[in-house]
Amino acid sequence: MTLQLPVIIERLSDSFLLNGKLFALTLIFSLPLGLVVAFGSMSRFRLISVPVRAFVWIIRGTPLMLQLIIIFLGPGLMNLPFYWPAGSNGRFVAATVAFIINYACYFSEIFRGGIQSIPSGQYEAGAVLGMTKAQIFFKVTLLQVIKRIMPPTGNEIITLVKDTSLARIISVKEIIMMAGEYTNRGLIWPLFATGIYFLVFVGILTLLLGYIERKLEYFKA
Amino acid sequence: MPILQVKQLEKKFGTLEVLQGIDFSLDQGESLAIIGSSGSGKTTLLRCLNFLERPDGGTITVNGQLIFDASDPSTQHESDIRKKRLHFGLVFQNFNLFPQYTALQNVVLAPKLIARERSDFGANKKDILSEIEEKGRAILEQVGLSDKLNAYPHMLSGGQQQRVAIARALAMEPDILCFDEPTSALDPELTGEVLKVIRSLASRNTTMVIVTHEMDFARSVADRVIFMDEGAIVEQGHPEEVFGNPQKERTRQFLLRYSESS
Repeated sequence: MTLQLPVIIERLSDSFLLNGKLFALTLIFSLPLGLVVAFGSMSRFRLISVPVRAFVWIIRGTPLMLQLIIIFLGPGLMNLPFYWPAGSNGRFVAATVAFIINYACYFSEIFRGGIQSIPSGQYEAGAVLGMTKAQIFFKVTLLQVIKRIMPPTGNEIITLVKDTSLARIISVKEIIMMAGEYTNRGLIWPLFATGIYFLVFVGILTLLLGYIERKLEYFKA
Repeated sequence: MPILQVKQLEKKFGTLEVLQGIDFSLDQGESLAIIGSSGSGKTTLLRCLNFLERPDGGTITVNGQLIFDASDPSTQHESDIRKKRLHFGLVFQNFNLFPQYTALQNVVLAPKLIARERSDFGANKKDILSEIEEKGRAILEQVGLSDKLNAYPHMLSGGQQQRVAIARALAMEPDILCFDEPTSALDPELTGEVLKVIRSLASRNTTMVIVTHEMDFARSVADRVIFMDEGAIVEQGHPEEVFGNPQKERTRQFLLRYSESS
C-alpha cells in the first residue's frame, strides 16, 4: 500500500463517494416511504396502525448498527430463500436497505407530528369548499406540513450524512474504514481528513436546507 | 317552497344531547339569525348543515330535495356528501384562510378545482380559469379588498381576513351562506367592517344563517331570529317580536343578561 499523499486523497475521495451514494439513495427512498409509514401509523384501522407503530418502535428502539448486521447476515443465517448479491455490491445493497428502513421510520414520526399539528380548521375549510380529501392534503395542508417539518427533517438529514459511516460494520468500504487502514500503518492524518469531508458536505447541506426554509418564509403557518 | 327545511334534527356527543329535535325553515333571500348562550347548540347546528358533524336524527331538505335523512343511509354516502355540502357555504369564527395562498388564491382555489370536473374543462381550460379569476377579483372588490388581492393572510388584519373568508365562501355560490360567530375572534374596532359586509349581503337578498352574539346586529339585519337554549329552539320570530316582546321567560333572561353586559 502506497503512502503517497495524492494517492491517499484519491482513495479517501473514492470511498467518500460511497458515503454520498448511500446518503442519496437513502434519502430518495426513505422520504416517500416515511410518508407511507406515517399514514399507516395514523390509520383509523387498528389492523394497520398497531403493527406499523410496533414496527416503528422496534426500528427506532434498536441500534442502526444491529439492524445493519441482521439485515446483511439474517437471510443466510436464518436459511431464508433470499440472498444479497455476492461481494461488495451485496454489502452495499444490504446497507442501503437497512438505512432506508431505519430512516423511513424516523421520517415517518416527523411527518406524523407535522400532519397532526395542522389545525382541524384547515381541513374543515377545505371540506366545506367541496374539496376531496386528496385535494385538501395536496392543495391545502402539504405545504404547511413541509414548512413545519423542515427544521427536524434537516436535522435528520444531517445525521444521516454521518450515520453512513456505520455501514463499515458490514464491511462497506466507506471513508472512515478506508482511513482506518492507514491508521493501522501508522498514519493518523487521513482519519482527521475524513472529518473535513463530512464538515464540507454537511456545510453545503446546511446552506441548502437554510435556502429552502427561507423560501417557505413567505407565509406563516 | 322554502329553500331550506330542517326537521327534527338531533345530534349527540356521547350521552350529551347537543341538538334535541331542531325544526326550522328558511325562504329564499331570507336572513336568519341564531342567538343563544355558549353551549346552546348553535354552532353544532351550523356544522350539521355543512356536514362537518353527522346528525343522529332528522332530515335536511334543500330546494325540495331531501339531502340528508338520518334514518336513510342512502342519503349519507361520503362521495355525495361532498356535492351536497356545496348547497351551503360556511364562514368560520377563526377565518381558517389557507396561509400559503394570497387573498385571491384563497378565493379561487376551490372554484378552480371544481371546474376540473366540468366536461368541457379540457377544451376551454384557459377561458374557464380566467373567468374564475375575474369573478374572484370582483367578489374581493365587493367586500372592499380590491387592493389586497395579492396579500397573504398573515399580512391582513383580522377583519380583512374574515372578509376574504366571506369572499371565499361567496365564490362557491352557495344556496345558503352560514356564518359561525363571524366577529367573535375580532377586536371590537374590527367587527364593524365585517358586519357591514354581511349587512350588504342581506340587502342583496343573500340567503343566510348567522350565528352571532351581536344582538344589535341580529336585530337590525335578520328577517327572522331563533333563540336556542340547551339544544332546542325556545323561541323564533321577527326580530322585533323576539327582541321587543319575548314570550318565553328564558329568552327574557338571556336578553336581559346581554343588555346588562353591553
